[in-house]
Amino acid sequence: MCDHTNKNIYLPYLATVAEIVDETPDVRTLRLVFQDEQVRENFAFRAGQFAEYSAFGAGESTFCIASSPTRAGYIECCFRSVGRVTEELRRLEVGDSMGVRGPYGNSYPIEEFFGKNLVFVAGGIALPPLRTLIWNCLDLRDKFGDITIVYGARTEADLVYKRELSEWQERGDVRLVKTVDPGGDGPEWDGRVGFVPTILEETAPAAENTIALVCGPPIMIKFTLPVLEKLGFSDDQVYTTLENRMKCGLGKCGRCNVGNVYVCKDGPVFSARQVKAMPMEY
Amino acid sequence: MQKYISQHNLNTLLDTLIAKGTRVVAPRMNAGTPLYEPLTSASEMITDQLPRRSAKEAFFPLCEDIMSYEKEGQQVTVTDIDPNRFPETVLVGVRPCDAAAIPVLDAVFSWDYKDEFFLERRRKTTIIGVACTVADDACFCTAVGLSPAETRGSDLFLTPLEGGGYACETYSEKGEALIAGNSDLFAEPTNAKAVPLAEPGTEKLDLAKVKAWLDEHFEDPLWDGIATRCVGCGACAFICPACHCFDIVDEGTEKAGKRRKSWDACGFWKFTHHASGHNPRDLQPKRYRNRIMHKFKYYDDKFGQTLCTGCGRCVRVCPVGIDIAQIIEKIEKGTGD
Amino acid sequence: MTQPIDTSIYSAVTEAIRAEAQRILSAGEVSAIVGYAAARRKGSAQPIVITDAADTAKLIFSASCVNNLAVYLTKAKKDIPKKGRIGIVVKGCDLKALVGLMGESQLKREDLYLIGVPCAGVLASTVQPATELTAETIAPKCTECDTRLPQGCDFVPAQTPATPQLERKYAAEIARLEALTPAERWAYWKEQFAKCIKCYACRQVCPFCFCEQCLCDRNKPQMVETTPRPAGNTAWHIVRAMHLAGRCAGCAECERVCPMDIPLNLLNRKMAKELKELFDYEAGFEVNDKGPLATFTEKDDQSFIK
Repeated sequence: MCDHTNKNIYLPYLATVAEIVDETPDVRTLRLVFQDEQVRENFAFRAGQFAEYSAFGAGESTFCIASSPTRAGYIECCFRSVGRVTEELRRLEVGDSMGVRGPYGNSYPIEEFFGKNLVFVAGGIALPPLRTLIWNCLDLRDKFGDITIVYGARTEADLVYKRELSEWQERGDVRLVKTVDPGGDGPEWDGRVGFVPTILEETAPAAENTIALVCGPPIMIKFTLPVLEKLGFSDDQVYTTLENRMKCGLGKCGRCNVGNVYVCKDGPVFSARQVKAMPMEY
Repeated sequence: MQKYISQHNLNTLLDTLIAKGTRVVAPRMNAGTPLYEPLTSASEMITDQLPRRSAKEAFFPLCEDIMSYEKEGQQVTVTDIDPNRFPETVLVGVRPCDAAAIPVLDAVFSWDYKDEFFLERRRKTTIIGVACTVADDACFCTAVGLSPAETRGSDLFLTPLEGGGYACETYSEKGEALIAGNSDLFAEPTNAKAVPLAEPGTEKLDLAKVKAWLDEHFEDPLWDGIATRCVGCGACAFICPACHCFDIVDEGTEKAGKRRKSWDACGFWKFTHHASGHNPRDLQPKRYRNRIMHKFKYYDDKFGQTLCTGCGRCVRVCPVGIDIAQIIEKIEKGTGD
Repeated sequence: MTQPIDTSIYSAVTEAIRAEAQRILSAGEVSAIVGYAAARRKGSAQPIVITDAADTAKLIFSASCVNNLAVYLTKAKKDIPKKGRIGIVVKGCDLKALVGLMGESQLKREDLYLIGVPCAGVLASTVQPATELTAETIAPKCTECDTRLPQGCDFVPAQTPATPQLERKYAAEIARLEALTPAERWAYWKEQFAKCIKCYACRQVCPFCFCEQCLCDRNKPQMVETTPRPAGNTAWHIVRAMHLAGRCAGCAECERVCPMDIPLNLLNRKMAKELKELFDYEAGFEVNDKGPLATFTEKDDQSFIK
């Protein structure tokens, strides 16, 4: 939190909804601008961190900060409306106020990725926690080697950041492999058809000097990690970001632990080595 | 610093503090239930019963407002709670198991982010502990390395003496300040013998050995064996001096309301339930395992301390007789159930 | 002047339970038995689920066998697998709860092997487990018991329980409260509910609170506030008492387990009294298809419709 004068760690910043993008029928992006000038100028975060977003009256919900820290003046969150708070957030209109507490958690060790190739593997609603890093890296493009993105969802409609997928596709310096499973019936679908781990294996990115960033539902992670291992990635070359039920977001309410690891403090970013050491409790 | 205080002078001390506007919290009867509550007079204080709930709520109340909000059109006003809201407090008659838990809680409430709701109350509170002369067979402070004379957590510690009155010993500047500010009530130590201390029947366990077992036995039939009995209420967590998990909710209307934090428990099925329907701890044995793990392993991994002081309240209050002292003893002795 | 209650039959009852449990488990008549076993604290007992015939030696019956084991057979306890017939040790009060559950299609009689116990009473929650059972230390619910010998069980030890005549504690307290003015009564209950800490022990031990997700655990909509504040606490207890009216069997577990000594069973006994007066209904040993509040007949009083 950049406001060190406020002793109440649970007090959110106020932010105005500046823009709304409907990514899919039930997934929405909100672009937020902090109302306080000091906060606008001083709010800083690293890719991978998350925040607690308030719909006052309904409560708070936990999402990553989906925009890149290289983009000043706003932050973005992206969420599916599935519970009370996210349904209330969906009722907000441009100009409405909401709350933001954060940034919390650890972040991707981006400096350790300099000079390396990057492979991003994501499924469905799990693209946002990687998208922050994708743009962070693209905004610092010459610091990295090859960048490959393998992203899929059940159907074309379920893909998020559709505009950006086109942008990434059109850049010459990123390889984007889109897939749907099943989907792919539309005449304009120009991607692959198949389960993300399968498409990843076919894409076969080289493991040498490469970091893999994976985010998706547990079933996708379960099948993706072995594919990466088969392609020669060690557990220290693979990172993921976990989510868990959270309330305080800052290590006190005792809810988000996986074994002795607090997802809100020790994570949400973990290497595959760290994830494999955790008990199956997430 | 060592002193003597008579029961009469202790009562005078408390009444003087009350008259000055200090909040004096001590064990007292509330409609037949002993609780740590604010006194209106020293005569209300009881000394012969363990309060049903612990002293943690003097620092970590059952429920408190953490902010309020008001909506007007597209604007929201968020109002902080008055930082001067916490009164100067003397917490007196605190059992060693309750007092020892408070510094244990300091660790989590000051872990990187300083929870001023807890820490400001800590700064403004002086804790007067008292040695236990009575215990029952649910007490197991000795099993976790504490005792009826444990002074950890007390700023001033009272030991009951034969013939009345207490030997006092200070363990902090706050304790010394309390004596200095009321020096006419304290006398030089006497030769009176201490009233015999309570003798909890449990022997000291090697908690490192318990932790070593927990490190390796996340999966184990022990959890199904004990925890199948657990019905998933929050009684054990709520009355425990060391449990500190909480929930944050907004209560009010769409137009105005409060954000509150209140006690929560890992025993509830809802505790880790995602809105998507996924629940990493979907069955009671997994939830109960988390309780034992948190107390005897995770808190040690993170903060180097055990999250249990052996007060025995969970043993007394558990609807289905789950006995945490029995569990850790079985683990330490290497005999499964 | 202490009036001891004769519990001399309990050791013979214990032997009889062990023998029967051993027999039915070895013969494969049941796949598991839910009963009581001794716990660490002197004189105390705890629920146990036994699947190995060798473990039947652990079963006991004593004045500390306070739990209503019926809760372990409800669908709320998903982690206890129910394969084949289950044996269960029941006191009369516990059996009434099981009968109620059968009436609500939660259990089938043929899936249960009922081991009834002749019971002279069990200890109140306010005394240490090793205390002698007397008129002063007996659980309040036992002072009104009319089911010391459970009916319709598959096995009951041959002993006859003592049937002491005791002052009916709940009837006396209900009469006291009924004699108060509404304002006085409201003040009494406000004071009681202000003590509630929302631990939900009352709900979790209740055999009839078997909803897989309690109405009050939902937040869409939020029916009752979750924080332990007086208004929300009062709403919670009223909601629960209403949901139990016409179902509650009077096992009084809710009151026993409340860490804050709230006299919850008073609410349920008062509701039971109303149900008796209005619909001539009370919990018993006959399985009723539907409770009175789940049915409507033309004879029902409609005078309140003006």
